[in-house]
Amino acid sequence: MVMSSEQPKTMYDLSTVLDVEELSSVKPGSGILIAGPAMTGKQQLAMDILAEGSREGEGAVIVSTGDSASDILANYRERVPSVDESRVGIVDTRSEGGRSEDYTNSGTFVHHVSSPGDLTGIGIGITKCLESLHNSGADNGRLALVSLSTMLTYTDKKTVFKFCHVLSSRLDAAGYLGLFTIDSGAHDDQTIQVIKQAFDGLIEIRENEGDRQVRVLGLGGQPTDWSDF
Amino acid sequence: MSESEKPVVLIVEDEPDVAETYNLWLADEYEVRMAQNGDEGLEELDQSVDVVLLDRMMPGLSGDEVLERIRDRGFETRVAMVTAVEPDFDILEMGFDAYLCKPIRSEQLHKTVENLLERTEYDELLTEYYSLVEKQATLEATKSSAELAESEDYNELRERIGELRDDLSQTLGGIDDDEDFIATLRGLSDGNEQ
Repeated sequence: MVMSSEQPKTMYDLSTVLDVEELSSVKPGSGILIAGPAMTGKQQLAMDILAEGSREGEGAVIVSTGDSASDILANYRERVPSVDESRVGIVDTRSEGGRSEDYTNSGTFVHHVSSPGDLTGIGIGITKCLESLHNSGADNGRLALVSLSTMLTYTDKKTVFKFCHVLSSRLDAAGYLGLFTIDSGAHDDQTIQVIKQAFDGLIEIRENEGDRQVRVLGLGGQPTDWSDF
Repeated sequence: MSESEKPVVLIVEDEPDVAETYNLWLADEYEVRMAQNGDEGLEELDQSVDVVLLDRMMPGLSGDEVLERIRDRGFETRVAMVTAVEPDFDILEMGFDAYLCKPIRSEQLHKTVENLLERTEYDELLTEYYSLVEKQATLEATKSSAELAESEDYNELRERIGELRDDLSQTLGGIDDDEDFIATLRGLSDGNEQ
């Protein structure tokens, strides 16, 4: 028996963002890897899925290895003008001066870590974000980590795999949905195959004659066919 | 279970009465060693020690200094700090695995030691899980699906991976606790540095 969240919670419907049957009812606690070549909109997709939850009042946690917290928040505000910013938490891993935390004027909790390789700091940040969102009344939500590729330049795949597994377990206990992006062109196939195993499902993006296509693997059922998006 | 198979707990505590109380509580289930100060504690320490209960305020070497030397010497033993004040995650960041606030009750002490042993078990399971997942990925990259379907080794491997995944989800309650989560992540970074 898998010991996860005791109470049945509402399924996450991602099909409004990506029209694929398998995504219409995703179990709370699921971890999904979004993989594709550079510049194919992986981060966009992750943020779109997050934004959809925020429109419903869910919590949103963003762990960024590239953008600053203020850029992330500005971008998120544009995406969801109606967002309750106290239900957004950010872990900024490119902060100068080590671990610290603060709240923006609009109530967003921001945890600063000095490097994408500081897994403990990232973990503490996520824990505190979840706590902050819970205090703001959000009892479920979605987390996006962009990107694992950057983390893989700071630490080896074994450590990243373990990190993903442990984080997925924590999100499972919290009933959160996890979204993690990886640049499939930046790593060898074996690395992608290994990292994939830390998640429940995979959204794969490819470019085909100028069109972007997507398919879904895992999450119950056979791999879907490629479809344009 | 024979004496040698019991997990080993090292108590580093300068107050003899307090140390003896812990010893009485733990002696049935664990092999207990006792040290009255940091230097003695470090002498008693070897690879067989699973858990150290370390008083933070002691004459001579402080708990923090003892912890630093334990980590410097590369011991992967779990260290619970015993303290008079309630700390928070900072303690975990400092490299301690847990903290106990005085006065400690028997049940609380047992729970902490069990939890720390379970974390060690979790780490071991996760390491084994990773190595098998990596092996699976290698096989899948080098053999055709027809070859894999017929391979007994491959099917056994997949079965074992499934079992390990279940074991992991049942260890530490599937990481439903913040302290377990943070401490497990800290363990990953430590392993990476070595």
